[in-house]
Amino acid sequence: MLELRNLSKHFGGVRAVDDLSLTVNQGEIFGLIGPNGSGKSTTVNLVCGVFPTTSGAVLFEGRDITDAPSHRVVAAGIARTFQNIRLFGDLTVWQNLWVAQNSAEERSKGWFGRWLGGDRTGRGDAEELLKFAGLELRSGELARNLAFGEQRRLEMARALAARPKLLLLDEPAAGMNAEEVSQLATRIRALRKYGMTILLVEHVMELVMGVTDRIAVLNFGQKIAEGTPAEIRDDPAVRTAYLGTADA
Amino acid sequence: MLDDHLIGVLSNMGMISFIALSAYLVLVVGEISFGQQAFFAISAYASGIASAMWGWPFLGAVLWGAAIAGLAGLLLAIPTLRIRGLYFAIATLAFAEMVRLALEIFTYRVEVDGELVGPDGSEGFRDIRYIYEADISAGAFLLVILALLAVTLGAILWIERTRLGAVMRMVGEDPVLARLQGVNVNLTKIATVAAAGLIAGIGGALYAHLNTYVEPKIFNVMLGVHGLAYGLIGGLGTAFGPLLGVALDIGVLESTRAFSGYRMIVFGGLVAVLLIVRPRGLLDEAAVYRIRRFLLRKDAGD
Repeated sequence: MLELRNLSKHFGGVRAVDDLSLTVNQGEIFGLIGPNGSGKSTTVNLVCGVFPTTSGAVLFEGRDITDAPSHRVVAAGIARTFQNIRLFGDLTVWQNLWVAQNSAEERSKGWFGRWLGGDRTGRGDAEELLKFAGLELRSGELARNLAFGEQRRLEMARALAARPKLLLLDEPAAGMNAEEVSQLATRIRALRKYGMTILLVEHVMELVMGVTDRIAVLNFGQKIAEGTPAEIRDDPAVRTAYLGTADA
Repeated sequence: MLDDHLIGVLSNMGMISFIALSAYLVLVVGEISFGQQAFFAISAYASGIASAMWGWPFLGAVLWGAAIAGLAGLLLAIPTLRIRGLYFAIATLAFAEMVRLALEIFTYRVEVDGELVGPDGSEGFRDIRYIYEADISAGAFLLVILALLAVTLGAILWIERTRLGAVMRMVGEDPVLARLQGVNVNLTKIATVAAAGLIAGIGGALYAHLNTYVEPKIFNVMLGVHGLAYGLIGGLGTAFGPLLGVALDIGVLESTRAFSGYRMIVFGGLVAVLLIVRPRGLLDEAAVYRIRRFLLRKDAGD
């Protein structure tokens, strides 16, 4: 479904992502892990067209979306969350969901229906997402007034509001306690039941090992291993990347 | 009824409100324009030409002037699309000065009823005599101004309640994030700058017809700076914000004797203090949210 072909991004002399190739299959939960600065978030940004690639290609459902503007990437069916929470603080909770709604049905309404349709259209979908995120009582609150955990849940609900085929989760468990991580794992598994394909970028090992089907490991922008969670756990190259060599 | 002084003050407030609303819209999508006076000027000339020289009816001339100003906004927005922040602000300032200097040399005179009328370079554009010919009193013209302002304000308030309004705020708050929600940021900004040009244009057309003459030096940068400051003082959370700014400056500082001579000092100080303590003005998003919640609670009766 998503295919990266020899993808590279250099910032000056730094090779943030270096000749990365990987394939995420339809309906799969794919984990992308690696130490700090190994290029995970850069990869997500390249897929979303936040900044241009140095070389290589991004293919989504067989179509080349390399360096497409972000709003086209979203229209193609890819939505994401952010490592550092990015909400529209001056909009209310449900407005944050409302503006992100981008399903095919939504786009078929035409310009007037979609943009000038007033604040009632499309709320049904938003209510459902609020329930999914456990935010139904906070619907009218400004997003900036939410607690940290609520903001994270709103971000995920907002990504889902676009009705994506592929969901990119960029460190969704950052700053969460064990209880919240286990709730997050439940939510991610629930999404799989709806047939959503997920690329999960994460630091928190128990989450990655618990929910993913396959994992790729990055180090210094390069893929050093790929396999099932069990294979990755026993991979010597991965252990070296995370823990250093025995004699170091 | 109202005395002449009060009618004059209210008319002035009404016309300046169009510039304030125009600068406000640009601020909402996250850009600062020092050049909205250019659209005011373009429409003042274009509508004056239409009514005084081509013999168009008044309302047609106003709409024509506003349409030309909107078109100018579109033409400004397309090349400045790729520059942001400070650079956009400088580009708008340069554009407005360019328009003002062009009007200094713009001469287009035709004979109407045995007299030469039309823009005459730095001499200005005299004899936009519509309100004399149609015998419209200052009070009646004030009603025209207020009616057009009400329509404009109503349209903006309505847009702010739609998804387009939310999208404009998204673009202003975080354009990268807005793009990642599927918003075409560039298109939103171009449309907003064009609409802002049109709104400033309505004010300019009214100004030309009320004063019966205009000259290029009226449309200097201070007009644009005031228009910009009204939104920053009054607040960017609602279209009522810039109107509050106009009311505070023209209604209180300029028109009452108490501050005479100190107006610019008080005004400048007010802007400086507010930029520190309330960077998005008195009626910022949080204030609007609290007010709305208060009103809703009263409606619900608890």
